[in-house]
Amino acid sequence: MSTEEEDGGTQAPAEAPAPSKAELDRAFEDLYRDHLRDVYSYAYYRVGNHHDAEDLTEQAFLQAYRHFERARRESNGRPLRPWLIRIAHNLASNYHRDRARRPTAALDAVEPPSHPHATERVVEGREELREVIDHLEELPDDRREALIMRFALGMSNREIARALGRTDGATKVLIHRAIKQLEELMSPEADDE
Amino acid sequence: MSEAATPLDLERLLADALRPIEPPEDLATRMETTLASIAEGAAAELSSWADEFSEGELQALRDPRNWVRPVAAVAVGGAAAGALVLVGMRQRRKSSGLRDTAEQLLRDIRP
Repeated sequence: MSTEEEDGGTQAPAEAPAPSKAELDRAFEDLYRDHLRDVYSYAYYRVGNHHDAEDLTEQAFLQAYRHFERARRESNGRPLRPWLIRIAHNLASNYHRDRARRPTAALDAVEPPSHPHATERVVEGREELREVIDHLEELPDDRREALIMRFALGMSNREIARALGRTDGATKVLIHRAIKQLEELMSPEADDE
Repeated sequence: MSEAATPLDLERLLADALRPIEPPEDLATRMETTLASIAEGAAAELSSWADEFSEGELQALRDPRNWVRPVAAVAVGGAAAGALVLVGMRQRRKSSGLRDTAEQLLRDIRP
């Protein structure tokens, strides 16, 4: 898991000259290459199918491209991944709103990844993972989204906080409660009910 | 299985269940093409905007000697506007003088 620290990064000089168009394009290309998988993974876990995840990823990067110069200027040298994920997050929310679907329905279609283990362990493992995915659907949206950011993208609490527009403390609590709730949902007592 | 779901195991399960998904190859290609075409489009837009002026016109715009005429035009326009305001004021003053004269005339002809 990434422990990328953001605010510890070097501050951009206050009076730095404005970058040229070519420099900006190169910087955006780097951003795009570094985070295409993150944005795509997030989009996939939010919408549940590759077709819409591709569209959403494309839209997210196009939007990011339009506002890249300003985002770069205002980030003060901090990583831009939370900003990118926030764009994808907003687009995914619009996607669900437009289709009047519950975001939770998206995970129905997600197939648990296969593992290079012995056959019986694969079957058992896939059942476990299916159960985790099924129970993720029962979580409130913000808790589920925080877990996707943490586990699918390996984002730190601080990055998740920036992506969700919350404080670091509130994000820590959010993730803690999400795991706790998931734990309760997966407990034998919950299965008996 | 659920019995084994201690917090630590749950985090492992979550990491396994929510693995990063590799984007399809053609998405990367398509995105790069789209972004390149946007960048080219923006560059073309800029150059066509610049093309609206001929090189001679652009040079003339940059030459401070050619700024005298616009500055003089602004000064003359400002002076003309000031003169118009003065004429207006005088006319208003004149009309009140006429009224005064008429009143004076009336006072004079009264017995």
